[in-house]
Amino acid sequence: MTEEQQLKLQAFLDGELPESDGREVAAWIARDADATALLGELKNTRNALKGFEPEVKLPESREFHWSKIKREIERTARESAVAPKASLFTWFRRALIPLGAAVALGLVAIIAIHPVPGSHHPIPMTANVMVGDANAFTYRDDTQDMTVVWLSYPTENKFAEKSSADTLPAK
Amino acid sequence: MRYGLFRACLLLLVAAFFLSVAAAPAQSSSRYYSGSSTGTNAVNFEAQLIWGTNDKQSDPKLKPADSKLIGKLQKSPFKWDHYFEMHKEPIKLRLNEEKTITMSRNCVISVTYLKDENIKFQLFGKGKLANTVTQPLPKGRLLITGGDAENSTAWFVVLKQVE
Repeated sequence: MTEEQQLKLQAFLDGELPESDGREVAAWIARDADATALLGELKNTRNALKGFEPEVKLPESREFHWSKIKREIERTARESAVAPKASLFTWFRRALIPLGAAVALGLVAIIAIHPVPGSHHPIPMTANVMVGDANAFTYRDDTQDMTVVWLSYPTENKFAEKSSADTLPAK
Repeated sequence: MRYGLFRACLLLLVAAFFLSVAAAPAQSSSRYYSGSSTGTNAVNFEAQLIWGTNDKQSDPKLKPADSKLIGKLQKSPFKWDHYFEMHKEPIKLRLNEEKTITMSRNCVISVTYLKDENIKFQLFGKGKLANTVTQPLPKGRLLITGGDAENSTAWFVVLKQVE
């Protein structure tokens, strides 16, 4: 059996032959045992494949499916054409506030770690005059590293009574 | 994308800031208070009673005050021509310890060593409390209490931390 004859048998089985050719092939099958056997084999094969071939059905029609894709492409193209490109100034303006805050934080951190040159003590050197005395005042000089609490009592005070010897005994 | 990167940088900066703030007290305390405020070691102070006068030295026994102290006082509003050291008293204090020292017949002081190199200084005249000062007194810093005396002279009590 030639290849052409085999293909004709396949076409006959699929119902693809014209009516006249179909009659000829049917007559050939009736008188030829090999052709009958091959036809039976092809039928079995087709039936076997039919049971395992998954059938996929689109939830929508083919035209509607493609029109949806087309609409989505057109919409995306429209949006990208409308969206303005952010300029460098816009970026700068957006970044200005957070950038300023970051710089301020950085400066505070630097000052917290490194005291300002010239300030000898990071601790507050506040003198507290605790006695409620209107005649006392505090003088603070950080360049000289000293705090003076001056008591403005009258000359005849608790410390100087009659002479300096009373107050300040020489040793 | 760029904004996300910027936010990440900002977060890093904020984290660095908080870390630095958290680390700063430890640094400063180790730099300025090392060894003196542990509570176990005694800290040495010195109290001096100084007399300031514009008169020439009448008594040769009077001892001039320390030249550094004179320099500091003469750069202040409490300026006299001569300063004499009338009395000097070493004071050794542990944390929260208080000592009372008689500087002259009428002048008594009380010093308390508090945490973080703070001191509480109290001045008594004739047994009565005249003044109280509480402040940090690290090495090199002077706490001076003063007042007018007769004949346009002045008295000073100088307190400082020493080695």
